[in-house]
Amino acid sequence: MLSAAGIEHDYALHRRRPWGARDVAAALQGVDLQVAVGERVGLVGTSGSGKSTLLRCLLGLERPDRGTVTLAGRTVRPGSTASLRWYRRLVQYVPQDPAGSLDPRSTVRELVSVPLRHLHVPGDHAAAVTTALTRVGLDPELAGRRPGELSGGQAQRVALARALAPGPVLLLADEPVSGLDLPVRDQVVQVLADLSAREGLGLLLVSHDLAVVARLCDRTVVLADGLVVEEGPTADLLTRPAHPRTRELLAAVPALPA
Amino acid sequence: MPRRGWVTAASRAVTVLGVVALIGVLPWLSGRSPELSILRARSAEQEATLEALAAIRAELGLDAGPLGLLGHWLSGLVRGDLGTSWISGGPVGPGLVHALGVSVTLMSAALLVALVTAALLCWPPLHRVARGERGRTGGAAGAALTALPEFLLASVLLLVGAVWLGWFDPYGWTGPSSVVLPALAMGLPAGGLIGRLVADGLTVTGTERWVATWQVAGASPGQLGRALLRRTLPALTTQVALVLVGLTGGAVAVEQVFAIPGLGRAVLGAAEAQDLPALQAGMLLLLGISALFGGLAAVTRALLLGRALRSGSVPVPARTSPSRRRDWLLPGGAAALLVVVVAAGLGRDPLASAHPRLAAPSAALPFGADASGRDLLARVAHGAVQTVGTAALVVLVTLVVGVLVGLLPRASVGPVEVANAAPPVIVGVLVAAALGTSQAGAALAVALVAWAPIAAYVAAASAEVRRQRHVTVLPVLGVGPAAVTWRYAVPTVLPAAARNAVLRLPGIALALAALGFLGLGATPPAPEWGLLLAEGMPYVERAPWAVLAPTGALVTASVLAVSLSGLSRRPRRPAGPVAVPTGTTAPSPEQPAAVG
Repeated sequence: MLSAAGIEHDYALHRRRPWGARDVAAALQGVDLQVAVGERVGLVGTSGSGKSTLLRCLLGLERPDRGTVTLAGRTVRPGSTASLRWYRRLVQYVPQDPAGSLDPRSTVRELVSVPLRHLHVPGDHAAAVTTALTRVGLDPELAGRRPGELSGGQAQRVALARALAPGPVLLLADEPVSGLDLPVRDQVVQVLADLSAREGLGLLLVSHDLAVVARLCDRTVVLADGLVVEEGPTADLLTRPAHPRTRELLAAVPALPA
Repeated sequence: MPRRGWVTAASRAVTVLGVVALIGVLPWLSGRSPELSILRARSAEQEATLEALAAIRAELGLDAGPLGLLGHWLSGLVRGDLGTSWISGGPVGPGLVHALGVSVTLMSAALLVALVTAALLCWPPLHRVARGERGRTGGAAGAALTALPEFLLASVLLLVGAVWLGWFDPYGWTGPSSVVLPALAMGLPAGGLIGRLVADGLTVTGTERWVATWQVAGASPGQLGRALLRRTLPALTTQVALVLVGLTGGAVAVEQVFAIPGLGRAVLGAAEAQDLPALQAGMLLLLGISALFGGLAAVTRALLLGRALRSGSVPVPARTSPSRRRDWLLPGGAAALLVVVVAAGLGRDPLASAHPRLAAPSAALPFGADASGRDLLARVAHGAVQTVGTAALVVLVTLVVGVLVGLLPRASVGPVEVANAAPPVIVGVLVAAALGTSQAGAALAVALVAWAPIAAYVAAASAEVRRQRHVTVLPVLGVGPAAVTWRYAVPTVLPAAARNAVLRLPGIALALAALGFLGLGATPPAPEWGLLLAEGMPYVERAPWAVLAPTGALVTASVLAVSLSGLSRRPRRPAGPVAVPTGTTAPSPEQPAAVG
């Protein structure tokens, strides 16, 4: 179980005057969050609510000012590459604009085997690449291509396959489908839904798109101004929002999905 | 942020202290013993006993090792004592302060020339862009001629303005008439360079979207022109400052050609005479002037930008990369000309005095002969091979050093700034003082400054690579910082950095020639271009061809250097070979795709 407890994080802004004190902006003001094994959790909030900062803390990329992140009781904090290998094998990341996160010079095979090599995953890497591609519904024949030779939907799946290759139990996804056109977005959402249903993969989905959250997540957490203002089963939260900030988010959606 | 700022500040402080310390221990580095000459200068009668010599050594602090020497020198500086000449035995301060006054007057006049030249070059593109026409970056041919190296332009101006036309004084520092030619020699290249930078910047700024918005909103050409300048100039202040700092290097060459009793000539004379205390003090003053120009540029930039500077929200102009075929016309032509000369002269003997002295050009001797009766075509051709060969070696060294240093962007700030600001001529004087004059010393001096632009480029380009999405995701995939650098940043940056370095080859060859011209590089009878020009100068009235042959070669190389550097300032973007089929969005470093 991934757990964040009492996470606080400030950002130092630029000085207004060279001799003045730095302004401080609070991104997170004491956030608690749990994701159980196999659970699918949505993390929603407007821009500037602290979603991305929280995600960076959860990924061990940023050290919170206060509070701890733990996976199954073991503390996760930024450190040397080697000290976080165990964590990165278990918790992987799907970035925003997954296709843009692929090195244009590498082949699909090279791209998917990057985490296998660098995280020291044991076993046959070639076979693991094939398995990962199959799991996201891609033809293993594509392994020799480069990102420029893939369609938009295929590139998204390659990014997903790369995250799945080291065999994680939990995926942290940061707006994985924002900025995609609708057919491609539906493909990627379908792949994520299938994976979690078939294989029990856990998911923490960061999004401002409530339609995607409603489709994928059992439970939803609403973040506003660096605080968790509301959380609960997704269906309840979307139909009976209690907090004004949740209602604002819902009001911004033209029509709720069925 | 605070910690990064600390590294940068420490890097600057350490570099400045290092340079001052280097100048301070110069007598120790050169390993020379001046006590006998000082003793002779002070009194002809005193016998050179061991005791007398030891007393002088102790007085100069020479026995205390490098640290003691440095302490002795620094404590003298604090008291306002710039040192004691090793030649005359007297204090070096008063003479240098007078020379400083002369140099500052000359530099001010040169600055005026530079500003007028730059304004003339910028006016057409500004006029065009402010009226809403999309200008192309151009005027390269005209600008190339203004961007000749100072030592060459000074020789040409001396020839035309003083010898042939007789309008101005050829030598000395006697009145306003002696300021004109040197100021032109220093100001025209600087102004040409600044003018080109601003003109190119204006053309690029003119393609930005806000320009169209302003025009639609009914802004007058005058308003738009002011806005365009205000938008373009801040990005260029650092480069303009480097050009102005380069004036101090130009001063050395120009003062030497026109025999002006300024700081540059004093420093050069001190280096030739091995009068290290005078050299140390002169260097300190020259570097002080450089620092002043750098500081002025920083203040100007802060005034132009205001708060935008501190919030870090300075827009960076997008690069255009119009690698059109006609851009290669000028450098291609210049390169072809040089190749023809080399091919024609390489088979001839450059060292044999087989012809009449100063023989005029003929079918057998296309370029004529020099004062020793040597074939000038052969000397120019062999000089090209020697100069270009040395320059190629320097390019290789600067590429390796530049890439390695550029990968430490914050720690390398200080060395890069200082090396960028140090004119090769000044470094050449230092190297010659420490190691003696030789072609290898000249190559070392040029290499000591030429790595900095490469390092700055690598630092900027690798920072850009590190911001790309496919690189920012790597830590999560278990790829450590070292692997990110060696497997992603270096392979992406290296081709463009190598191209950048190779395009600088003609410029480096010219810097080597400048050192040769000043007697800081290759030694006779080597057929080095700068040396050829210097050897021909005394015979310029009787045998102009002795000057014309090396001048022609150097002008061709300058045109090549300037037109190539115009290309290198507009590099292709440092991304890998991306084949983008229609329909997908490939994020380019300049245009972050899909802002979430």
